[in-house]
Amino acid sequence: MVAKLGAVFTLPNRKQLATMIVPTAYLPANLPCPALGADKLCTIHVNKPLRCRTMPFYPYREEQYQAELLKFPGDWLCDTSDAAPIVFADKRITLRDDFDQERQALEQQTAQIQRYADYMLKYTPNLLNSLVKASLSNKVGQVVTSLSSFLTASRNPAAKQIAQMQLPVLEHYQLQTANHQQWHEFNQHYQMSAKEMGFLANRDLG
Amino acid sequence: MTLCPCGSDKPLSECCGPIIAGSPAPTAEALMRSRYSAFVTHQLDHIERSHAPEIREDFNRAEAERMAEECEWQGLEIRSATEDGDSAEVEFVIRFSRQNKDMIQLERSSFRRENGEWLYVGGEINPQGPQRVVNKVGRNDPCPCGSGKKAKKCCGTTTVLD
Repeated sequence: MVAKLGAVFTLPNRKQLATMIVPTAYLPANLPCPALGADKLCTIHVNKPLRCRTMPFYPYREEQYQAELLKFPGDWLCDTSDAAPIVFADKRITLRDDFDQERQALEQQTAQIQRYADYMLKYTPNLLNSLVKASLSNKVGQVVTSLSSFLTASRNPAAKQIAQMQLPVLEHYQLQTANHQQWHEFNQHYQMSAKEMGFLANRDLG
Repeated sequence: MTLCPCGSDKPLSECCGPIIAGSPAPTAEALMRSRYSAFVTHQLDHIERSHAPEIREDFNRAEAERMAEECEWQGLEIRSATEDGDSAEVEFVIRFSRQNKDMIQLERSSFRRENGEWLYVGGEINPQGPQRVVNKVGRNDPCPCGSGKKAKKCCGTTTVLD
């Protein structure tokens, strides 16, 4: 499923590595979601991204294996009493609109994801080394790329507007993570990204 | 007088300066040098302008701007430059430091001349040299020196020099 929805890279040792290419809310794990309200509820519930809607299900995984995602860690506040609706039965998701929508969206974007993978490979040959390193990690390995590279590769016509919206967010998190050793890497990424978004936001495309 | 960053020992105004400003580069090597100098002097319009049309839209200008600003450029060394009609290859080494780490990049770039102007087509980072082929010469094969004798009777003999 990962190979189908993501991209497959051939490593220098000729092994193939199936990789998911996903947008990420690039935040330290111990910082709360920026959309979390004081009442512990989502402040953008009506318009929240597909990825949030489908939680805890995960369309990168076959449907029959979704049940294990229902084992919530202790700090989740979901209703698991008998009054809660049944969401999964007989290896099928019963309340499935969000899952289907997200799966469909993922299937529709595979060509774009492959183009981005090809673009990164062509212009960032070092990416393969990073992927090899990440694949050796005990947890799920991750390599962070830049929004500017995705906007360029996908020829996004709204790059300037997106950059204008990203800039204040990056500046906010840059301040929030400054002078914290544990967030040093995040802080560096925010700085780099803010420079790039700053350029795109102010670019005169006349 | 500012010396040209490309290492030519000429003033910038008589070396890469005019090319960065828009004059056509006389050779692919001159274009390559001017692209390096454009990075050092943060004039990335020149980088963008000298890209071949098929890669122009791939150029991540935002990232290039950031790199140009973050890196301390320490020098360019041209290893080789070959032109063949309207196409050319330049192999070079760039030294720079970023976040106090010294970096080195070896690249073989290819160029194409279109309407009299050299354009950057692409680059291979840390290129592999052409594969070396070792020809084995059998004792009874003709000697590679061209003498017409068998190798064992010619250069293939162990000669003891006094």
